Order: sequence, then structure tokens, then C-alpha cells
Amino acid sequence: MKAGTGRVRRPVPAPAIHSPEGSSIPGEPILSARGITKRFPGVLALDRVDLDVRAGEIRAVLGQNGAGKTTLMNILFGLVQPDEGQLYLRGRQVHFRSPHDALTIGIGMVHQTRKLVAAHTVLENLVLGNPGARGFLNLARARREIGELCQRYGVVLELGARVWQLSEGEKQWVEILKALYRGARILILDEPTSVLTPPEVKTLLTGLKALVSDQGVTVLVVTHKLPIVMAVSHAVTVLRSGRVVASLRTDEATEQILVRHMIGKDVSLRLTKAPVEPGRLLLQVEDLSAFSDKGLRALRGVSFVLREGEIFGVAGVTGNGQEELAQVIAGLRPTAAGRILFDGHDMTLRSPLARWRLGIGYIPAERAEVASIAQFSLVENTGLNFHFDRAFSTQGFFDYARLEQLTERIVDTYDVKAPHLHVQAQNLSGGNLQKLILGRVLSRKPRLLIAHLPTQGLDVEATAFVRGTLMETCSQGAAVLLISEDLDEILALSDWIAPIYEGRFAAILSRGEADAETVGAMMAGLRSEEAGAP
Amino acid sequence: MLELLTRSFEASTILVLAALGELISQRAGVLNVGLEGLMLFGGTLAFITAQSTGSYILGVLAGLAVGGFLGLAHGFFSITLRGDQVVSGMGLWILSFGLTTYIGSPYTGPLGMERIQTPFGLSPFVYLAVILVAAAWLLVFRTGPGLAIRSSGENPSAAEVSGINVAAIRYLCVTFGGMLAGLSGATYTLSYNPVWNYNFLGGWGFTSLALVFFSMWNPWILLAGASMFAAMWQLSLSPELVLPGILSRYIWRTLPFVTTIVILSIISTPWFRTRWGLARPEALGRPYAKE
Amino acid sequence: MRLGRYTLTLEPRPTLSPLHAVLTAILAIFVALALSSVIFLRSELGALSAYRVIFSYAFANPNGLFTTVHRAIFLLFCTFAFLVPLRAGLWNIGLPGQVYAGALAAFAVPFALQAHEAPSPLLPPGLTVLAMVLAAAVAGAALAAFAGILWAKLHVNEILVTMMLNSILFWFVSYMIKEGGPYMGATAEGESFLLPDALRAPTVLGVPFTAMLAVGAAALLDLFFAKTTLGYKIRAFGLNPAASRYAGINPVTLPVLVFVLGGAFAGLAGYHNFAAIPGLYKISGNYGYYGDLAFYGIISGLIARGGAAAIPVVLLFAGLSLGARLVQGQLHLPFGVDYALLGLLMMTFVPFLILYRFRIALRLAPKALPQISADVPEA
Repeated sequence: MKAGTGRVRRPVPAPAIHSPEGSSIPGEPILSARGITKRFPGVLALDRVDLDVRAGEIRAVLGQNGAGKTTLMNILFGLVQPDEGQLYLRGRQVHFRSPHDALTIGIGMVHQTRKLVAAHTVLENLVLGNPGARGFLNLARARREIGELCQRYGVVLELGARVWQLSEGEKQWVEILKALYRGARILILDEPTSVLTPPEVKTLLTGLKALVSDQGVTVLVVTHKLPIVMAVSHAVTVLRSGRVVASLRTDEATEQILVRHMIGKDVSLRLTKAPVEPGRLLLQVEDLSAFSDKGLRALRGVSFVLREGEIFGVAGVTGNGQEELAQVIAGLRPTAAGRILFDGHDMTLRSPLARWRLGIGYIPAERAEVASIAQFSLVENTGLNFHFDRAFSTQGFFDYARLEQLTERIVDTYDVKAPHLHVQAQNLSGGNLQKLILGRVLSRKPRLLIAHLPTQGLDVEATAFVRGTLMETCSQGAAVLLISEDLDEILALSDWIAPIYEGRFAAILSRGEADAETVGAMMAGLRSEEAGAP
Repeated sequence: MLELLTRSFEASTILVLAALGELISQRAGVLNVGLEGLMLFGGTLAFITAQSTGSYILGVLAGLAVGGFLGLAHGFFSITLRGDQVVSGMGLWILSFGLTTYIGSPYTGPLGMERIQTPFGLSPFVYLAVILVAAAWLLVFRTGPGLAIRSSGENPSAAEVSGINVAAIRYLCVTFGGMLAGLSGATYTLSYNPVWNYNFLGGWGFTSLALVFFSMWNPWILLAGASMFAAMWQLSLSPELVLPGILSRYIWRTLPFVTTIVILSIISTPWFRTRWGLARPEALGRPYAKE
Repeated sequence: MRLGRYTLTLEPRPTLSPLHAVLTAILAIFVALALSSVIFLRSELGALSAYRVIFSYAFANPNGLFTTVHRAIFLLFCTFAFLVPLRAGLWNIGLPGQVYAGALAAFAVPFALQAHEAPSPLLPPGLTVLAMVLAAAVAGAALAAFAGILWAKLHVNEILVTMMLNSILFWFVSYMIKEGGPYMGATAEGESFLLPDALRAPTVLGVPFTAMLAVGAAALLDLFFAKTTLGYKIRAFGLNPAASRYAGINPVTLPVLVFVLGGAFAGLAGYHNFAAIPGLYKISGNYGYYGDLAFYGIISGLIARGGAAAIPVVLLFAGLSLGARLVQGQLHLPFGVDYALLGLLMMTFVPFLILYRFRIALRLAPKALPQISADVPEA
């Protein structure tokens, strides 16, 4: 079957977004939120958030990962219930018990992860769950109705194509059309451009503008990407750590202003890494490419080098290839192209076990699912990195006594709060589990440490501890590949900083060259200097 | 030769009924590896009921009832409690294996009732099976509820945000699948081979399971596959009809099982996996949690 | 699942203390026996007397005791054959097939050496017996490994493959011992040749040496999982294959290895049953009965979960099945009382198994949101 074409035709040219008068639609709030608060175990996701969306505008909701954007949208769509606060539609209070209620009122959502059935056709996906589809499927009538809709909104879709055949941009349009077919007049898009190519982004933005200006649809776009905000929105609300920090008209904002709101002025640089005389060349990565689990290109030709004593910081929002980068260097994912040299030897094809033996340590981002075994005790978890160690495994027997001693040392040194050594790992808090994992991996005295999101979800104390430990490892001659979303962390710890965006390094900056705004901008895809290896 | 054909159809009916039920259940995303157990139970209870009451209809109903009940139990464990579906299925098999051994042992022996009428030489179950295959195909591929079923098995989260009650759909499908498995067992003990012996299925439930995988979850391909397997089975029972004198008849008896392994392996190779993998309900066997 | 203000959930049990496991098992056994007394309700003896007869034959009567022990050894091997792959998260239900493979391989040694009629000049009897044992283990291991490789490399469902192999091997045995097959015995009654005296398994205290192997394995198995590195890796893989891969455990060799170990045990069960039990020493025409008995290794494995704990369980199973056969004759009960009892035991144990892994918890459901009314705010 042919893939869909997904072209967008604009039947009427749209007015300029940045014109002083704004768009020619009355500025009455169509959707409002007051005092929205949401708590999850251990974290305050949203803190008294107020939001006003005017009819017929495109409002951007901007913020870093963890700022609360998706939670807020899920509340607006009825997927999640707020702990406090109210929602209003055209001034009347509304309450959503489930997406069904939101859909009935006319709110549709296109989620960050595709909620389409990949194996089914476009038409089947559009029809799924529609009130009209109760008995026998009248696909002919659906085809007609959808055809009219496509005409009206200026969308071109091949209804008979299977969704897995479509490009990401086309899939997006299917989801948008699905919402419109259900009668949505308010469209919420959660990170719509995160998996789109630049031309697809252009198509999307043009189409959104047309939807709004020609059809009077209201659009909420959630994103962390500044170019999107500047290109398409009429107004922008900036969220940081669950609070609204700014709400302004896009034509009154500049990129700099927005970045500062997004990241916050209090960039704490208390912990700084002392510059170290770089030692031997330890790691050389040449033109590395790899595919993600979905079969898409996640890494597109990444190259860099790392010397003993250095920390190389890869800064970026999750989903730009970091996971694949870490896994490829750890040996858990095959390369599509490129080489990895460790200490001068090509180790591109070596197994994970061989890499542990060579002195490469890996701290994955998924603490509970990959880095540890939930039902194992602390001692047994330590064993994950020592089962192949001659000192612990003699003549087939596992020296649990020695393992216990080691675990005790780790628990002491790394301040892991646990009732005793034989408690199961799943009973530890995230922070303590991470400390255990860190201690365990570092006990191997690795020469290269891959740390992926090492302080995510940790409290201030644990975070400082982990960062301090990373720096100490370097002072003892190891090298660290730090992959993080936390700009503070990257700036404080790294000798080299590489913002990653869509599988490529935007640049490789030395410590002196980098500052929060530059790196933040590159992480968001604003500037891209092709930098050669240092 | 005609005898061979009719017996093949009878045999394939048993496979088709059980596999069809499992197909629908799997299309909704629930895997039941204990199919053999449900068939054993359905067949045993049907046999006992029929013999005790003298009524075939009651026997069939008993088989349907117990199959549905076990399917519901499996659904409860898998959907509501979100337990490991393989563990639950295996548990059901072992449970049924043991329990039917116990319940059925006093009834070991022939059914002792007048054979069921066979219009055109085939038992009514054969026709029922074909009708069910057609009905299943219509339901799954041509109706709104069928689309909901398929979507629940592919991407339950997508179905949920489209307003579909995934749990309800899965419960319905797994219970219905159980009923068909019970019916399949009843067909075996009441019609195909009306003699009760412990573990009378000897692994046919697992063969049905394999057939579901082979069929790429399409009822018509399932019918074709079951027919071929049943024909092979009957042939292996009396190879002298086609290939006299070659190989001991015991070696022939292994033919259907060897073929099953071979086909299972072939469809698992990378080349096939992509094609076959596309037909496989993506969320099969994975517990779904509404966020 | 909501029940008013509470939710009923099945939570994974964090740890299963050995005491807890034993207590649950004992409770299950009592419940099972209580339920099965139903079988004897209508007999002349009554339930308690019937049980007394069963247990006294199985354990007090010298003949009965020996037979019980022989059967228990068989079940013990089968239990291990199921347990080892289970610890790695894999279901080896190919026990009957592997048992048959072991038996065939064991008998292949004297057959190949032409030693089944007269003592062979090629190998002294002692070595021949050793070769038989080894052959049985290797054959079972190879058959299981076949399923293991298919799973490890192609992810073919191991349940289906092992089940198919059961049927294949079943018919292969028939081929070998019936209707002029290579192993057919002199009597031509659809059974294999009889093992000559010299090649019969040596006995210790009237019990074949396989008993030592089995009991030794029982003791070593628990030690194996608790103390060795390989045991550790198997446990890790069974709990979390992704984390194991991260830790450097080979995702192909480990599953194949557990199947090799499991299959070897099942092969030994085959050797024991057909070449070591006094009074048999041949692959009998009703070999299928023993093959099906192997399935009970699954249930005892699920109950006992360990080597040492398996011994009382298999003794119970063995004793019950034998004693019940006897009682059936005495009490003129319908055929299959032994199956009935075992089946009932299985039935009562399965719900208790769920209690091993989960506990039923009633938790207070999260409170509903308070409804706050407010005036429409100004734009």
C-alpha cells in the first residue's frame, strides 16, 4: 500500500501572526484553569496554576521536562484529576471524569506518544471509538464524512494506508483529524514536534495556523522548543517546577526572555569541578549512528573524544538520542555505523560483559528496571557487577560473605538509608537506590563511567552527593560521560559540553565557551554550529 | 479415503473451535496458554452431564458453562489483578488436568449413547464451526465492536483515549474464548471420540494454541491451517492409505508435531518475524493499567 | 478492583520466608486430604480408615515402602527438571518427552554394544551401567536444549515446543519397542528387551543407587542456587532478564544452559524408572503412564520450590498414588482412584500457589476530590 501523502493545502492565506493587531478573533477566554494543584507521591507536580486560553488563539505552554506541562494538559483532557482547582469552559465550571467527558465537550488531545493503532488503517483509527461506530462499520459513510472534513480543514490523507507506513508528520495529522472528527474545537498538542523532521514541522505549523485562522479552532501547544513558540503562537505561558512564571504575548517576547524564564535566573554553580590536567586519550567515538527501538534513526553521526580526568557532558531533553548513545557505548545496542575505540582498541563489537571487564561502568537512567533487580536484596544487587569478578567467584562459588562486606562498605560510604542489607531493593527510595547503584558501579573502579540522568528525582542532598562523587572519580583518573537534562549539573561538572538535538551534537563547547543561555538555546534547537572535535 | 476426509473434518472442528476462541481472546490482548485445561474440563463435564442426563444438549451446555467460567477466572487474574498471564494459564491447565482426572475417573469408558445425527456424514459441530468462523471474521473485521477488540489488543492506551472500555472488552473476549474451548472439548468427548479417558486430549490444546499463532490471527487462515493439520493427523493415523509400507506407523504419528515445531520456528525467523509480527496484536500478554 | 471504599488487589509478596512456605504447604496438604476423603465416603471403610490403609501400605508395608520410594525418586528427578528452568523464568513442560529420551538413550548403550543378550566383551558391566546413566542424562539434556535454543535465538514459545516434543518422543518410543522396532523384546508384546542381570542398576539397601543421586541432587540443588555464581545468574535472569543483560549475563547461553540442566534431570528420571527399578528393567508397554506421571513433577516443583522441600512432597505424592491403587482394589472403588487423589491434590495446591506469590490486600481507596465552588473569575 502506498504511504499517505499528508500534504496540507491551505484554502485561504492566513494573516501574519506577528501583526500588531494580533489575529482577527475576539479575545474572550474559552478555556480557563484556576488554582490547579496536583501532587504525585513525593513531588508537587503543579502548584496553583492559572491559565487562560482565548478563543481562536494558539497558546504555547513552554517549560523544561518536569515543569508540569504534560500533567496540566492531562488534567485539561480529563486523563488526570487535579487535587485542587477548577476548570472553566466559556465561563462555566466543568469537571471531567474521563477523556470521554472532555471529548464530548469539544476538547481533543494529541499526545506526546502516538496513540494510534499502528497496524490499522488511517480510516480505522479515525473511526475508533466514534459514537457512530456501534454496529456494522459503515466505512463508506465514514469515508465521505472524513473526506468533507479534510476538504474543510485543508488536510490531505490517504485513508487506506496503514499507520505504520506513515511518517511521523502524517501520523500527527491523523491524530489531529481524529480529534476534529470527534467535534473538537479546542485542540491540545503535547510536544507535537519532538519526532518530526524540519519539513514536517513546517507543514504542521502552517496547518495549525490555517486551522486557527480559517476555522476558528483554538490550539494549545505544549513544547520545550523555542523556535516553535516563536513561529506559531499568539501567546505563551511559561511553566517552571509546576508554577506559572510568565504569561505573555509572543510578539512581546524574545527568545532570550523566554529562555531565562524557562531555566530561571538562579543558576546555582556552587559545586564546580576543578580543572584537571587531561590524561591519556581514553574514549574515541567516530561518526556513531544507531537506531532506536522503533527503528528510527536516533543517533546521526556523533563524534567526540574523552580523556582521563575529564567529564564530557551531553546536555539535552530526553528523546534526542541520549538513551541510544549510552546504550551503544555500554554495549547494549548495536551500532548502525561508526566506531568506538577504548584505549586505542576498537571495541565496537564487544559484549557488555567484555566492556565491564575492560573498565567501563554504566549507570542507566532506569534505576529500577535495568540497573537493579527489585526483588533482590541489596547484597544480591551488588552482585550484579561482581558475578564475573575472580575475587568474588572462585571455583563456581559466589562469595556472598565478601559481597556482604562490600555492600556494607557501600552502604556506609554512600549513605544508603536501608533497614538492613538483606532488604529488597524495591523497598529503597529512588535516591537511596541510586546511591547504591552508584556505589556498586564505582566499586569496580571503572576507567570510564557512563552516567545517564544520575541525579534525576533525587533530593538536594543526594544530588550534591552524587555530583561530588562523580567529580572525585575524575580526580582519581577516570573519565565520565555525563548525560543529563539538568543544565546546572552539566555546566557545573563538565569540562566539555555537547548539547544534543535530534541525534546530533549541536556543538562541542569547552567549559569556558559555554553558558546557560547558549547551551539552553542549543538544547532547544535554536542554534547549531557544526563544531569539529576538540 | 472418504472416511479419512470426514474424520479430518471432525478433528479439525475440535481444533478450530478452541483456536477460534483463543484467537478472539488474543485479538483483545489476553493470552491463555492453558487452553488444553479448558478443553479437558469442558469435555469432561459435557461427557458426565450427557451420560447422566441422557441429553446431548445439556452436555454441550455444561461444556460451554464450565469453559466460560474458567475463561472468566483467567480474565479476573489477568485483567483485574494484572497477573502474569502465562502463570495463570499454566495454573488453569494443571488444575484442570488434575481435577478432570479425579472427576472423570468413575466415568472412564464409552459414552454409551446413540451417536449424534450426522447430516451429510458430518456432525453438526462441523457446520457450527464453519459458521462460527464466518461470524468471527465478520465481527472482528467488519464491525465497530470488532475494531474496538482489535484496538484493545494492539494499543489499549489508544483505545482508552478513544473512549473504549478496554477492561470490559477483554473480559468479554476471554470469557467467550473460554466458552468456545469448553465447546471444543465437548465436541471431542460427545462426538469425535465418545470415550472418556484421563488426559484424553493428549496435547491438542497446545496444538490449537500453536494454530492461533500460525493463523496470523485471521479466522479463515485458522480454518485452513486446522484442516491441514487435522488431515495430517488423520493421515498419520493410517498412513497406509496414501503411502503404504514406508516408515513405521509410529513415526508417522509424530508428523503433525514435527510440522508444528518447524512452522513455529520458521515464523520466528527474522524475515518472517516482521511480516508475522505485524499481524500479532502488539499488546498481547501485557497487563494494561489505566493511567 | 473497588469494593465500596476499599480496593482489593493482589500484591506481589515481598519475601517468602521458608517458614511461611512450609506452613502454607502443610495447610494445603491437609485441605487436600480432607477434600479427597470424599472419594472414600461411600465405601465400606470410611475416609479415615481408608487413609490409614493407604498410608500403612505406602509407608509401613515393606513392599509398599520400596515401591513408594522408587516412585518418589522418579518424581524427584522430574521436579528438578522443572524447577531449574523455572528459576530462570522458563516453563519446561517437556518432562515426559525428556524422560522417554533418557530411557531410549539408556537402553541404546547395551543395544549398541550388543550387550542385551549376552555380556559384551567391549565394556565391563560396571562401565556399561555408567554409560547408560550418562547417555540418559545427555539425551534428556539435548532434547531440552533444542527447545532452549529455539527460545533463546528465535524466541519461539518454549511451552509449545516442549509440549510438541512430548508427543514426538512418545510415538518414537512406540516405534522403538513395538511392532518389530529395534528395541523390541523377545516376547514381542510391545515392550523393550529386558535388561540382563549384569546391567541392572546396583542397589543399596534394596534401593537403586539412583536414590543417592536424587537425594544428593536435592541437597545440592538448594546449595546450588544459594551459593554458586551460576545459581545467582539463573535467579537474576529469572527475575529480570533486562537487568541481567545489563549486568553482562549472556542472554543466549544462560537459557540454553538451564534447559540442559533440566533436561539432564528428566533424562535421569527416565533411566531410573526403566532401568533401575527392581521388577521392571525394561521399557514397558504402558510407558505412557509413567510419562504422564512426570507431569506431577510440575506441581511438586511449584509447591516445593526447592530441592530439600521437594522430598516430602514427592513422597506424599508417590505414597498416595500407590496406596490408593491398592485401596481401590480392596474397597471395590472404580478404577483410577490414584489418579483421582493426585488430581485432587493438584487442584487444592494451585490456589495455595497463588498465595505464595501474592497476598490479597484490602487497601483504602484514595479519597475523592472535594468539590470547591467558586464564582466565575474575571478574564
